[in-house]
Amino acid sequence: MATAQVSEAEKVYILHGIREDLRVDGRGCEDYRHMEIETDVVSNTDGSAKVTLGHTAVLVGIKAEIGKPRPMIPNEGYLEFFVDCSANATPEFEGRGGEELGTEISNTLYKVFNNKHSVDLQSLCISPGEHCWVLYVDVLLLQCDGNLYDATSVAIKAALFSTKIPRVHISTDDEGGKEIELSDDPYDCMRIQVENVPCIVTLCKVGHRHVVDATLQEKACSVASLIISVTHKGTVTCTRKVGGGSLDPESVFEMTEAGKRVGKALHAPLMKLLQHEESLGRKTPKVGFLG
Amino acid sequence: MPTDTKRVRGPEVSQSPSLFLCHPAAVVLPSQGPRADGRQRDQVDVRPVFVRCGLVSQAKGSAYIEAGNTKLMCCVYGPRETERKDETDMKCGRLTTDMRFAPFSCPERGSWIQGSQDKDFSLMLHESLQPAVCLHKYPRSQIEVNVMVLENSGSVLAHAVTCASLALADAGIEMYDLVLSCSIRQDGSSYMADPSYEEENYSSSVSGENQGRLTVAFLPSLNQISGLQSDGEMTQETLTAGVRACIEGCYKLYPVVQQALAKAVRKAAPPPSES
Repeated sequence: MATAQVSEAEKVYILHGIREDLRVDGRGCEDYRHMEIETDVVSNTDGSAKVTLGHTAVLVGIKAEIGKPRPMIPNEGYLEFFVDCSANATPEFEGRGGEELGTEISNTLYKVFNNKHSVDLQSLCISPGEHCWVLYVDVLLLQCDGNLYDATSVAIKAALFSTKIPRVHISTDDEGGKEIELSDDPYDCMRIQVENVPCIVTLCKVGHRHVVDATLQEKACSVASLIISVTHKGTVTCTRKVGGGSLDPESVFEMTEAGKRVGKALHAPLMKLLQHEESLGRKTPKVGFLG
Repeated sequence: MPTDTKRVRGPEVSQSPSLFLCHPAAVVLPSQGPRADGRQRDQVDVRPVFVRCGLVSQAKGSAYIEAGNTKLMCCVYGPRETERKDETDMKCGRLTTDMRFAPFSCPERGSWIQGSQDKDFSLMLHESLQPAVCLHKYPRSQIEVNVMVLENSGSVLAHAVTCASLALADAGIEMYDLVLSCSIRQDGSSYMADPSYEEENYSSSVSGENQGRLTVAFLPSLNQISGLQSDGEMTQETLTAGVRACIEGCYKLYPVVQQALAKAVRKAAPPPSES
């Protein structure tokens, strides 16, 4: 992970501040930085979103392709995640440097979505055992300033919301084989229910307290973090401890409770914002990448 | 996608015969009553464990663990000089972990090339072991931990962590404490400690909240959690109760592991006979 060099004096300063619930940029321990979300930024995808959280920028593109369902689960489609750490973010990611971090994030994403209710996979089935929709979720890290998991999960939720999968009809042709036909109307599409898609909250243990949405400097002062993914109902779908330090069981319980609280509170404003952006339709002010 | 260019594999379209069974192989285990091997639900009933240290003569330290049908072994090499000079850290040592599954270890044949799931296990093993090893005592050195899973019959990450910390202790690497680990499978309102492969992977008949798996790595004397990993969907209270159950499971394993280590030390250096 891209790290910041922090001196001992700075570490003490950050630690003392967090003890008093005051971080370097004036936030409280459970406040997020300014977040900007824009959907439909890339026209070649079926769904896309760009999220800027402070100086962290993440771009997610979703493409839906028709594939064969998994042998053991013939009546469901599936999602494939791939995370690419672009060398634009930091020179450490050049070549294969970002591969480790990318694999770590994509493995966590597989775990987050590994349950029955996050995405309705049965709606992605076209004909059981033969064809299904495979959603390739590709995440691109453009800028890295801490808290990649949170930004990625919000971007994935926004991109899934904006995904339009074309409707298909199965017809039998003359020889009895099945043929797939896409509907002629380009606006005739299926949307995905994103109510239950979870959002990830990263809590870093700094001193005796935990902080949400840590910057790189704060990350350098913490020994361990807990990643927790929470749905809008408060269900926890995945937790993971990262970092080279250990955590007290009591602080783990405290952090899961705080993570659940913060995560639950994140969903309602996010859905409201996404629905508002959708309702503006063509009149949405497009900011793009240079805003 | 990395492909294996060194081994001649069978045709790409080979499939496991279990897909062609007349009755679907999807096992649905009952959600009530005792478990398949007679252990109890809702109690921290872990499988009896067989542990031995010092089985691999070439390695600095090694350990072998068997729990039910899960068999795995771990070898530790080091501390030795860092292979890649640009990664040498002047102040503390490096711990590298590698966890591999033998292709015949799981019911479906796996591949020798490390998939992303293997890398994920290796990373979690690394995160669980790092807090316990006194890396600052081995500057500019590298300690390698290699775990090989011979048979996967459930809770493989939990037993890998225990085995690896035993191997590190057997190698004489200085540690703050042994790392023990336990996992549970939550199914509806009841949980099963140390699940077997079928118990871990079955899709439950109770569809609803609280389905999931949880693995916790714990340092018993220091009362610190060094690794935590869960998936599925659970409420926060269930998760908290699950973590407490795993910690209890670790305490149950502690005396067995300590005894095995003491035995290995006594065998390697027998106490001087009373004269």
